Amino acid sequence: MFQKTIIESTGKSPWLFHINAGSCNGCDIEIVSVLTPRYDAERVGFKLVGSPRHADIAVVSGPVTKQSLPRVLRTLEQIPEPRCIVTCGSCPQSGNVFRDSYSVAGPLSKYVHVDVDIAGCSPKPEAIMDGLLLAAKILEEKRKTGNMEATLPNPYVPVKAEEAKPAEAAAEKAEEKAETKGEEK
Amino acid sequence: MNVVVTALLDLGYILIFPGFLFCFLCGMLLCGIERKIVAKMQKRVGPPILQPVFDFFKLCGKETIIPAGTSRTVFLAAPVVGLAALVVIQLFIPIFNFTAFSGNADIIVILYLLLIPALAEIYGASSTGSPFAGVGLSREMVTIISCELPLVLVLLAVGKAVGNATGSGVVFSLQTIAAYQAENGCLLFKLSMIPAAIAFLLIIPGETGTHPFDAAEAETEICEGMLAEYSGKPLAVFKLSHAIKMLTMTTLFVALFLGGLGTGILLADGLIDFFFCVVITVCVVALIDASTARLRIEQIFKYYWTVVSGLAAISLVLAWFGL
Ligand code: SF4
Repeated sequence: MFQKTIIESTGKSPWLFHINAGSCNGCDIEIVSVLTPRYDAERVGFKLVGSPRHADIAVVSGPVTKQSLPRVLRTLEQIPEPRCIVTCGSCPQSGNVFRDSYSVAGPLSKYVHVDVDIAGCSPKPEAIMDGLLLAAKILEEKRKTGNMEATLPNPYVPVKAEEAKPAEAAAEKAEEKAETKGEEK
Repeated sequence: MNVVVTALLDLGYILIFPGFLFCFLCGMLLCGIERKIVAKMQKRVGPPILQPVFDFFKLCGKETIIPAGTSRTVFLAAPVVGLAALVVIQLFIPIFNFTAFSGNADIIVILYLLLIPALAEIYGASSTGSPFAGVGLSREMVTIISCELPLVLVLLAVGKAVGNATGSGVVFSLQTIAAYQAENGCLLFKLSMIPAAIAFLLIIPGETGTHPFDAAEAETEICEGMLAEYSGKPLAVFKLSHAIKMLTMTTLFVALFLGGLGTGILLADGLIDFFFCVVITVCVVALIDASTARLRIEQIFKYYWTVVSGLAAISLVLAWFGL
């Protein structure tokens, strides 16, 4: 009876839990700025919570140092399903400038399934907001399908080959026209 | 036949009005309005008014994690007990002339029942053995004790003021208080009761655990304290209880100090009652919430036992001398 309401509500009230895995603090400040009056993430239901058990979305920042790795993994496990894991900044995604350092164990995707990567060093608040909204949509998808591994297509990946064909064909035609025009001259 | 009708009526009271359904809707609305006003004061757009409802249903759909080594029964029963106690209080609080259940000493019943949600939370939290919950529950206990003294003084003052007029000592029946106000006008407009009314208004944020009296649930320092280990449905019920507590405290204020404004039509009375609840929530809970920072626990204690209790005591003394 309430199943539909629950599915709809899941996307409308994603609660965030922020994990600092050795971040330089740049990303952390940008995450906080998303909650300020200028960007006001609360208007779409985001809320920063204090306990991983209350959270829906875990925002990880920092390159995942060897010290923090076991703690990060334990914290992520404590988040009840359905959950989304979002990396904030280039650090947890690739290692960034700390890549191959003796103390860095990242990237995070080696250890857990990451749902959304927000790139940038540090990402703009707009980018973080966008990533979080995508995570909220994935959350709703997970609740709807009951599949806790569900994902959505990346809206920023370049268009696939088959879909791109009409555009390419048009471009070829334009080239041909240009060539014929050249010949006429 | 008669028995069946009364039983059905009682069931309606408990489940629909002024019981569970009414509590759910009004509590959630109050909570949503409060969040919106806080956001507006911080120059934000703020969440939609229905946000608490979304939060509630979302939490219902989440997995419930029971930490290892927890007493399962206590952990799961605590939120339900707390919610049930709040719904029962709501049945005892008159909406102007209408009371679902009444008794000779319902104020004392309410006083005890008001403790149960907080106690249930303490039981549930202590069953997990989490250190964050431990800190949270010790703070919650101090908050309860802080609020209790001024609350009792306020209720005594009101009881005495009505008792003076009706010539029966101290009145402990909310219905008598409501009937007295219907005849003689609201107690809020009586000079001797104004300090008590202010004291009660100051108790509301303490009881509902909003800024600056939220040391027990400080999410930034102790991971939301007592709720740290809760997730899924039990957490949803606790969040609902917090919302309903706001409704309970505000309707209690209306019943105690503004009881004379009823129209006699139940639906209109309910709406007027809810309107006052919104006004009180906005003025007392939201504005104080948005404009203050968190107090330390001993500051809360000192504040309630000196300033607020002092105000209530002034009213009590004035009432005792029949002013
Ligand atoms: S991505 Fe850049 S700003 Fe963010 S934690 Fe890494 S180094 Fe710092």
